[in-house]
Amino acid sequence: MKSAAVRSQLIAIAELRWRMFVNGLRTRRGKTELASRIIVTSIFAIGGFGAFAMAIGMSWFFVSDGRPEFLAIPLWGVFLFWQFFPVMATAFTNNPDSSELLRFPLTYRAYLLVRLAYGYFDPASALGSVGLLGVLIGVTGARPTLFPWTLLVLAAFALFNLVLMQMIFAWIERWLAQRRTREIFGVLCILFMLSFQLIGPIAGRLSKGPHPELRRDLQIAAEVQAVLPPGLATDAIAQVSQGRLVGGFTSLLFLTMLTLFVGFLLHVRIRAQFRGENLNEAPAPRKVKQARSLQLGWHLPGFSQPVAAVFEKEMRYLGRSGPMLLTLIMPIFMLLIFRFGAMNALRHSNSFARTPDMAFPGAAAYSLLVLTNLVYNSFGGDGGGMQFFYASPIQFRHILLGKNLTHAGVLLFNAAFAWIAVTYLYGAPDIAVTVATLAGLLFAAPLNFAAGNLLSLYSPKKRDFSTFGRQNVSQTTVLASFGMQIVIVGLGTAIFAVAHYYNDLWIAALLFLILAAISIPVYVLTLRRLDRLAVERRETLLAELCRA
Amino acid sequence: MDFAPSISTQSLTRRFGELIAVDGVNLRVAPGQFFGFLGPNGAGKSTTIKMLTGLLAPSSGRIEILGLDLNTHPADVKRQIGVVPEGMALFGRLTGAEFLSFAGRMYGLDRETAAKRAAELLDFMQLADQPKKLVTDYSHGMQKKLAMAAAVIHGPKILFLDEPFEGVDAIAAGTLKAMLQRMIARGATIFLTSHVLEIVERLCSHLAIIHQGRLVAQGSLEELRAGVEAQTPAASDNGSQSSGEKLTLEEIFLRIVGGGRPADQELSWLS
Repeated sequence: MKSAAVRSQLIAIAELRWRMFVNGLRTRRGKTELASRIIVTSIFAIGGFGAFAMAIGMSWFFVSDGRPEFLAIPLWGVFLFWQFFPVMATAFTNNPDSSELLRFPLTYRAYLLVRLAYGYFDPASALGSVGLLGVLIGVTGARPTLFPWTLLVLAAFALFNLVLMQMIFAWIERWLAQRRTREIFGVLCILFMLSFQLIGPIAGRLSKGPHPELRRDLQIAAEVQAVLPPGLATDAIAQVSQGRLVGGFTSLLFLTMLTLFVGFLLHVRIRAQFRGENLNEAPAPRKVKQARSLQLGWHLPGFSQPVAAVFEKEMRYLGRSGPMLLTLIMPIFMLLIFRFGAMNALRHSNSFARTPDMAFPGAAAYSLLVLTNLVYNSFGGDGGGMQFFYASPIQFRHILLGKNLTHAGVLLFNAAFAWIAVTYLYGAPDIAVTVATLAGLLFAAPLNFAAGNLLSLYSPKKRDFSTFGRQNVSQTTVLASFGMQIVIVGLGTAIFAVAHYYNDLWIAALLFLILAAISIPVYVLTLRRLDRLAVERRETLLAELCRA
Repeated sequence: MDFAPSISTQSLTRRFGELIAVDGVNLRVAPGQFFGFLGPNGAGKSTTIKMLTGLLAPSSGRIEILGLDLNTHPADVKRQIGVVPEGMALFGRLTGAEFLSFAGRMYGLDRETAAKRAAELLDFMQLADQPKKLVTDYSHGMQKKLAMAAAVIHGPKILFLDEPFEGVDAIAAGTLKAMLQRMIARGATIFLTSHVLEIVERLCSHLAIIHQGRLVAQGSLEELRAGVEAQTPAASDNGSQSSGEKLTLEEIFLRIVGGGRPADQELSWLS
């Protein structure tokens, strides 16, 4: 297909997205979405401005001070944020699925461009780009002559980050799509986590007494990072700033080659998708009928059949969603990072002296945070099944109770796992910390569930359990859940601060229990209102969730 | 008509902004009837069936199912009906057995009964061969059969089917028809919409035709045929009628709703 035709297709897709946006504003919900998007963007902009200012300051200082090799610090920051944020905070990731365009005679090149363009409209990419812009301004401020070269290097680095993020998502999706690859991926993840164990003993050994080998090790680390993308970008700028043009070009060349390599890996995946790859898990048809035993549904003591059935269904859905499971184990992963990562070095300083005490509350709070996607869009994964709920005689309060029980189950599992991990990594949390944390969850979870249930009915969005980071999220939900988490985490922090002030963490437990005595009735009251609300929101829910 | 209807509507109306999708429809369906609800695309069939099953609120009018007002007794009505809506209402990431067991329990069956009926239904529908296959990986025909199985697992008195034969091959259609005939044999009422007029003609005892939101005909096939023939001059241009053969449902349908397209209309790039 000629490039003019490809251009015409890309323009048509851009117009389509624009029309969809404009048409969406015809409804009240669309207008609310826009308002929410503006607020969420403003919040991100504040964070982005901080990173931007910091990047300018650091870059200006390092280049003015004649130490451009230290640009690696902001560039590593940008790199890690760009790659990790979308995984850790999938609620804020908003990459629409481009595979729906495959029905059209799109060339592969156009499809790849669309995929990359969609990937760029993401908070991580936007904030990462702002950070790089800060570096550019800082470097230019210190040495104006470096502007064109720095612009070129940082553009290459931005492209690398964009392609890498897309490549990671595409491959994770591939590995999580089938049972066998999912198991291999799971083992690799565990091995990766276990590898953190090695850092502890090494760090421990290094922290005792003078270590002449420390300098050597740091030198090796510096050399290793220099051949990785942020290091290459740094080196490209540093070499040119010191007049070594060949060295600078060589580093940029290596960065470009790495980008091409990552791009090739992305191409392998996207090409397979473009050709209509189907990664279903259906076994080959068997001619011989299998002997089957009667498969009884789950029994949930104290709850009705419909509630137990919804609970079972939700658990099965979760169990069959690799991407969702990966998100849900992130709190444990974060504990390992905090224990063996950079934060560990700070934990002996005064400001982090209490970090071990707060490890369990922190992990528990994060466990609640990773549930946001599920709790605030409870019907997102049901798709056409929503019609079944409306056609069946069961009340929505029971459906949502079943779903909330699943969420509570996941939360408790994560909290229990976090407790074990904290015990292993930092030593058993004090009984008062444990009780206070559990009381905190008892307060926070019902509040989250109550808000989540309302938002699930007000702003539903269809969710695909099998995709990773390409979910269509409601901005209203993002804003509301963000606000709710800020309130809850703020309250929790304040209560722990008060308890620390009085040097008695039982105070925190008591305060949380008092708050729980308020939040639980709020949850029950909200639950009772849901049937009427579900009837009122019937058409919106069915239209949003049952569309193909 | 002196029966107590299974389904009755009074002045059932649904508006979408300016558009009146269903306009003052008065339906009466007797118990045990196999009732076909026909109409051209966009006539209001799916909107009507959605309102009858509680998936869409009417703008005005009244719906009674088994003598109960749907607006005031939705749960009581839903307990006694089965529905296969347009989108089939399936949960893709469950296996067939899990979905049927889930459906049974949502309609109040205990675990054992739900599991037993699920196994029987999977056998009947010839879906038992691949127990670990997820619903999302089923073919369209398999999904239709599963949706039908879920709709009957609790033994409903009325079955609502929106296009049950659409996209279904002859083998699957045979299985579905066998299931529907069993339902009728045990006294259930079936209300279906379909574009496959041959199937409707063979299966349905009574029909209604909706056109541009209004009910334009209602009765048994014979009553509809008689009505059309009475309105059509004897010297019809239709060959079958002039040769003494009965009008088919397709002919009746086309005469009632009108099916012509301007003969001189052409597409510029295909002419």
